[in-house]
Amino acid sequence: MKSSASDLPTSAFVPERRSQSIAAPPGYWRIAWISPRGNACSLLIERRGVAVSAGLGVALVCACVLYLSLGSMALAPSAVLPALFGRGEMISVFTVQELRLPRLVAACLTGAAFALAGVLMQTLARNRLATPGIIGIDNGATAFAVASVVGMGVSLAPPAMALAGAATAAALTFGLVAGGGTQGYRFIVAGIGVGAVFGAVTQLMLARVAIDTANAAYPWTVGSLNARPGDAVGLLAVGLGVGVIAAFIVARPLSLMRFKDATAYGLGVNVKARRFQVLMLSVVLTALAVAVAGPVGMVGLIGPEIARSLSSSRQVPLVASLLAGALVMVLADLAGRTLLAPIEIPVGIVTAVIGGPWLLWILMRPQRSHA
Amino acid sequence: MALSVAHQRTQMTLLLTALVAVSLVSLLIGAGSVGPLRALAVLGGGHDSDASFVVWQLRAPRTVIGIIVGMALGVAGALLQAVSRNPLAEPGLLGVSAGAAFAVALTLVMGASAATLRISVAQMGALLGCICVLSVTRVRGVGSDPVRLVLAGAAFSGLLGSLTSLMLLFDQRAADEIRFWVIGSLAGRRLDDVVAMLPSMLVAAVAVVFIARPLAALALGERAASGLGHHPGLIRWLVVACVALLVGAATAIAGPIAFVGLVVPFAARALAGPDIRRTLWFCLPIGPLMVLTADIIARVAVAPSELPIGVLTALCGAPVLVAVVRARRLPTL
Repeated sequence: MKSSASDLPTSAFVPERRSQSIAAPPGYWRIAWISPRGNACSLLIERRGVAVSAGLGVALVCACVLYLSLGSMALAPSAVLPALFGRGEMISVFTVQELRLPRLVAACLTGAAFALAGVLMQTLARNRLATPGIIGIDNGATAFAVASVVGMGVSLAPPAMALAGAATAAALTFGLVAGGGTQGYRFIVAGIGVGAVFGAVTQLMLARVAIDTANAAYPWTVGSLNARPGDAVGLLAVGLGVGVIAAFIVARPLSLMRFKDATAYGLGVNVKARRFQVLMLSVVLTALAVAVAGPVGMVGLIGPEIARSLSSSRQVPLVASLLAGALVMVLADLAGRTLLAPIEIPVGIVTAVIGGPWLLWILMRPQRSHA
Repeated sequence: MALSVAHQRTQMTLLLTALVAVSLVSLLIGAGSVGPLRALAVLGGGHDSDASFVVWQLRAPRTVIGIIVGMALGVAGALLQAVSRNPLAEPGLLGVSAGAAFAVALTLVMGASAATLRISVAQMGALLGCICVLSVTRVRGVGSDPVRLVLAGAAFSGLLGSLTSLMLLFDQRAADEIRFWVIGSLAGRRLDDVVAMLPSMLVAAVAVVFIARPLAALALGERAASGLGHHPGLIRWLVVACVALLVGAATAIAGPIAFVGLVVPFAARALAGPDIRRTLWFCLPIGPLMVLTADIIARVAVAPSELPIGVLTALCGAPVLVAVVRARRLPTL
């Protein structure tokens, strides 16, 4: 957790001694320095958070190497790294660089984006089940993206349309429960209803067009990394970069927003403005990821769940969710590519099969706080 | 409330008239080249061989199936809602239909052929789905919260749905055999299928006649029902069996169709008031009305091709779901 100069009672006369004398709380590293303007600054870094992120990062790197080496043409892990930098046999260089690497990049980016969007939305709604996939935002984005692919008179690029769809669905879901608040299950079921309507609209559009066009739009309906539009991946990379920076800027108010509105307000958070910013961030990340991979919304539930079970509850686990989401996506797509070898299981189905029981377990176990 | 018997009788007459009218429209209108006038001539006894084939061999079975499926799904929804005391309990939403579809897909992948086993297998699957749902309602805290149950059901049917598509991906033959069935549609069914599902429908109908009264007593609470001489546990099991028979048969013939069991009892309750027996009566015409209307639109909307009927029921059912959820005080049954 950051704590800047403005929070510490810095008195003008003994800034150095104060910054020296404050010991780090247990479980934190404290970095203290004097800013050019002479203010004492300090930064608290939670040790456990660093350890969890490092562990997830290592796991992600291992999963990536595995991803690059396994497939219809198996490579030794030791051959993967040279091939990645263009050395070694031609065929393995081609396989790694041209076939598997772009897909791996897409998997990491979409997983990270879905999970980050998920953890933001959960925190915003103070509801563990309120991930974009469950409350219908994925379906909205999908419906609009499919509309642009099957050419219903609009010729915008799928990412832009997905953005419009995600925004529409989010506005609908949040608008429909306006009075009731976002905690509790009613919000979620209203979202399921909105999602069902958009799902039906998607089916409707796919039924209207010729079979070729329907096949072109099919990946969007189940969630697959097989046919990823190139420019959408680039857009997602840019969007994720901006989104991560924005998420870190709102990280501190976000961890305060887990309290009641009045408490957060009293602690100096402009709740209304922050809520809107976080919602927008989550919607944009979801839409960009859907434009690449289709509705793989379960990652937005599983990633933050893993991150939360590993991290302490002192702050919102943004980095850990990001890494866990990418890890889940890479492993799920790896499983989908290799398990039934000649047939490829769409990654959306793999994550649904893993995430479904998980979701049921969250629902069935004795009630606890759902923050 | 002015729910006099005479008033309800008028409403019932109106509903039945509407049902007859919709059935007639269903015979007259279709995606093909046989227009309403030619179809009308056939109904009047004309000798147009093309048109009479279309009307009697294609549209008539479809209409009959629509009527039966609508009745089955509507009544099953009303029963499930009464026994779980939850206005959102719907066979499609809670995973009963998904259980039936999963069971059928599983037997196909294991090598059975589609024609023979389907109805009983679907009923077994529906029974398992039903038992899962009702055991979930017995878990502390879940059963008392209507909305949480729907969420669990949605998770459950999502899981079964993805397992089903996983199996179909694995087995191309099975996929080809039930591709048009698994999305839910009334197209291309024959009268033999109707005959095959009639026995279980009759059994369910007789059972419903017997459990309607105890169910009405159960609406007063378990203790009151036992005090009135009924056995809540037994009633619950009978209802589960009925719902499994009805939903299993309907799913076997038309594929998984969601939201009918939500909308129909919702409308029936609005007309009939709180008594489950009257609600069940009103479900009988309203269910077919909804399914047939949806089917006609499915035929006409994208003229040369057809829509899955579940798309249309979802389009009109999801807003009802949202409306029920939004109501400040959730009506418990």
